[in-house]
Amino acid sequence: MKTPVLKLNSVRKVYPGSPPVASVDGVDLTVRSGELVAVVGPSGSGKSTLLHLMAALDRPTEGSVHIAGRDVARLSDPALAGIRAHHLGVVFQQFHLIESLSALENVAMGLLYRGLPAAARRARAAVALSRVGLDHRPRHRPNQLSGGERQRVAIARAIVGDPAVVLADEPTGNLDSQNGASILALLKDLNASGTALVIITHDRMVAEAMERRVELHDGRIVSDSDGAS
Amino acid sequence: MNPRSRLRASDLLPVGSVGLRTRHLRAVLSVLGIGIGVASLVAVLGIAASSQADLLGRIDRLGTNLLTVVDGQSIGGTEVPLPMTAPVMIGQIDGVTAVAPTAELTTVHVYRHDLMPSVRTGGMSVRAADIALLSTLEGSLSAGGYLTAASERKPVAVLGSQAAQTLGDTPRVWISGHWFTVGGVLNPLPLAPEIDRSVLIGFAAAGAFYGHDGHASRIYVRSRTELVESVAAKLARTANPANPVGVRASRPSDALTARLEVARSGTGLFLGLGGVALLVGALGIANLMVIAVLERRTEIGLRRALGARRGHIAAQFLTESLLLAFLGGVCGVVLGVAATAIASLARDWTVTVPALAVWGGLGAALLIGALAGLYPATRAARLAPTDALRTT
Repeated sequence: MKTPVLKLNSVRKVYPGSPPVASVDGVDLTVRSGELVAVVGPSGSGKSTLLHLMAALDRPTEGSVHIAGRDVARLSDPALAGIRAHHLGVVFQQFHLIESLSALENVAMGLLYRGLPAAARRARAAVALSRVGLDHRPRHRPNQLSGGERQRVAIARAIVGDPAVVLADEPTGNLDSQNGASILALLKDLNASGTALVIITHDRMVAEAMERRVELHDGRIVSDSDGAS
Repeated sequence: MNPRSRLRASDLLPVGSVGLRTRHLRAVLSVLGIGIGVASLVAVLGIAASSQADLLGRIDRLGTNLLTVVDGQSIGGTEVPLPMTAPVMIGQIDGVTAVAPTAELTTVHVYRHDLMPSVRTGGMSVRAADIALLSTLEGSLSAGGYLTAASERKPVAVLGSQAAQTLGDTPRVWISGHWFTVGGVLNPLPLAPEIDRSVLIGFAAAGAFYGHDGHASRIYVRSRTELVESVAAKLARTANPANPVGVRASRPSDALTARLEVARSGTGLFLGLGGVALLVGALGIANLMVIAVLERRTEIGLRRALGARRGHIAAQFLTESLLLAFLGGVCGVVLGVAATAIASLARDWTVTVPALAVWGGLGAALLIGALAGLYPATRAARLAPTDALRTT
């Protein structure tokens, strides 16, 4: 049995208001090393909240979220930041690249908060760029790259530190179908080389391509093709 | 393993300058704001220091050990004779190194030639002067020679610098009924402007031609610098023991010293104005940083997702603010020194920029950068990563 890298136990996230809204309501989900999981659901189903909880950007109201064996609900802000810096990689729909930095520098940013020397970061960034097929454009600024290339840079930034799990939030949402397909192929390649990958999407076509699909509705898991969680 | 989030100190500067590299114009304008404030502070201090150095230099050159003794003045503004014994008595005061009596000849006037109407005296006075006067005043001649033991008995006149201008280039002057040969012309004497306006003749000549009795009306005294105060205190009583109250002993360099004080007090006002300029610059930086935090919410969210702690975010924005202020400070110091140099060279002063102005200017800029950046940095750090990422 592969080791769990991400484990959610009866997780609830309630946002205050009248009435309070439970955006995620009793989710149990385990992601094991090397797994490829699609979390799929319509808008408002709690996908983004779930992503924030899995990315250690937020703490659950109830339940526990274990990342690399540690319960994030009980960690301080610096300790949470440490988890994010060392164990997690995140890919965003809008890429979130820094416009004034080159592709290589953007990728190297993925290691910035690990305290590695700049030269080591750049060396590893160059390797990550070649893994996503962009080793020929390290000096290009984001505005000199196509949408697909930008997302490749963002993916390289997420994997540069060899995290336990990479979370991708609608990674093809801002791309045309051709670029989207090649990004999905890249993500599957990376998964095949051992990186656990959770793709959050509202796109059923994207979800169909994944080996395991978790369907979310109104903050609850309504189906999980794995069945084991 | 306890994985820690860590940002190397050497990464702080590149991380803190990301915003400046993206928004050049705004950065340049904020730098300029602080720069102008610092420049005005540095220029005020620099120009004040240069002018003070110039005044101090002049005071040093002229000396502060010259004293003058006058026995009051008549209602018409002319000098009143001192007792005959005054110069000799003053010469005996401990610390006095030179004494030079002069006497204003109030009824004698000087003209360019004998055809001038007698009322056109040109504001000049005729003065009997001791042959030691030039050395006592440490004066110099622009032409000719000064009175000597031989020439002071003869109709020879030495012209003060202003008197020479008024009379024009002439080999002889007409002094109340007698032609006098012009023996020499003095350079200006900043500590004895009354000599500049005078035509000097010897005491012996004054007696021979105009019946002057030899009483001095103004005596110049040089003393040892360390004894100036005690000499000054004794002058009045020594010069006229019978009526010391009317005698004025003064120190001409006091006028320059007073100007120094005036210059110093004026500096305070301008420093205040420079401070206001700096404050405006600070508001510019604070404004830029607050806007930057609002605009760069997603960058903040991204950095938090990549593992930045709150402290790292705060440090990044504080560094950016300090960097802006520091660049402003450097520009300001350069501008301020340039302004000081231009202003000083235009007045023939030595360019003097006090170290306090340079370091104080940079220090003030950094302090302002820290204060202006504190609130935006705290706001950026407090921003929840989920909120920061949600804004797109």
